[in-house]
Amino acid sequence: MTEIYDSIIIGASAGGISAAIYLKRQNLNFLMIAKDIGGEMVLSGIVENYPGFPETNGVELTEKFKEHLKKYQVEPVNDKVIALEKNNSVFTVKTEKNSYQAKTVIVATGSTPKKLNVPGEEKLYHRGVSYCYVCDLPLFKNKIVAIVGGGNSANEAGIMGSKICQKVYVITKNPEMKGDKFLIEELKSKPNVEIINNALTQEIYGDEFVKGLKYLDKNTNEIKDLKVDGVFIHIGLKPNSDFIPDNWQVKNEYGEIIVNELCQTKIPGLFAAGDVTNIPHKQIGIAVGQGIIAALQVSKYLNSNKWILKI
Amino acid sequence: MKKIIIYTTTYCPWCKATKEFLEKNGYSYEERNVEENNEWANEMVQKSGQYGVPVIDIEGKIIIGFSPEEIMAALKND
Repeated sequence: MTEIYDSIIIGASAGGISAAIYLKRQNLNFLMIAKDIGGEMVLSGIVENYPGFPETNGVELTEKFKEHLKKYQVEPVNDKVIALEKNNSVFTVKTEKNSYQAKTVIVATGSTPKKLNVPGEEKLYHRGVSYCYVCDLPLFKNKIVAIVGGGNSANEAGIMGSKICQKVYVITKNPEMKGDKFLIEELKSKPNVEIINNALTQEIYGDEFVKGLKYLDKNTNEIKDLKVDGVFIHIGLKPNSDFIPDNWQVKNEYGEIIVNELCQTKIPGLFAAGDVTNIPHKQIGIAVGQGIIAALQVSKYLNSNKWILKI
Repeated sequence: MKKIIIYTTTYCPWCKATKEFLEKNGYSYEERNVEENNEWANEMVQKSGQYGVPVIDIEGKIIIGFSPEEIMAALKND
């Protein structure tokens, strides 16, 4: 007979890792499945808002989280979940390589960067187009770059770019930049940064490498041209929830998993934590907290005998 | 043993993953952090024809991004 785990955690970033620590401490029999450790958190660049770490970065913090998993001897299964099913109170988690069963599931799969879907974006990917300013901005020393986006990632990319590049354009479709006031002020104070508001990116062009981009100026309704060497796209994130059946009706219009304050979904035994949920604030600290809530709630659910195998 | 050069940036997680992968499999490598040396940055772009890190040069075989399968294939019979 196939082993039925008490729980399966899908994802190994902030939410999944904190859930794993708490499930382990409850002595529950669980599995963690993830295609990588750290997810988007690794790409966070400088992190200065996670308590206990006045200044760290995504890579270092991920290392600390990995150490913590190691201490509890949790070895994530390296695989990608492609489908989730539920029959007679038992969940079946299908991956690319295998299939597993569990009484409960915690989804902590986070999110991935959104694309602009404009001409040139795909063709010039890695030829000046990047979704990772932390990785690739250092290659644009003394060059001219455009950061497309209006939130904290774009603010941070602009600030980092101001220290490396000759000139940085930050292009947002909104009337002004959003995110932490502290970051926006810092961005605005940089003499080599120019923020372009109300601008819709239309096209990225170039032959071998990026040569520029065109945007629609919503103030004048004109198409304008910027000569740049690099385009960094940071326009938000798409939740990684495609493997959850639509007919379960647990996702909102953006694909986020709808949870209550106890990280429960409306499917009994299905919990979610972190950036994949409908909690509006996508923060490492919040994901960690939600992972803990989900794990404690899993324990409560299993103990309350709500989990009954109907054969 | 084949000579391995990795072009990296300081905070790039995939660069770190590539280095860890090589270390775990017992391979030594030369790291060229392109943030520290502009010549290395130009060299990387020239070799790979692109601006993304990491780039791995295994005696002329250029691998872009963290790709364990491609690395192992390039190091086959080494």
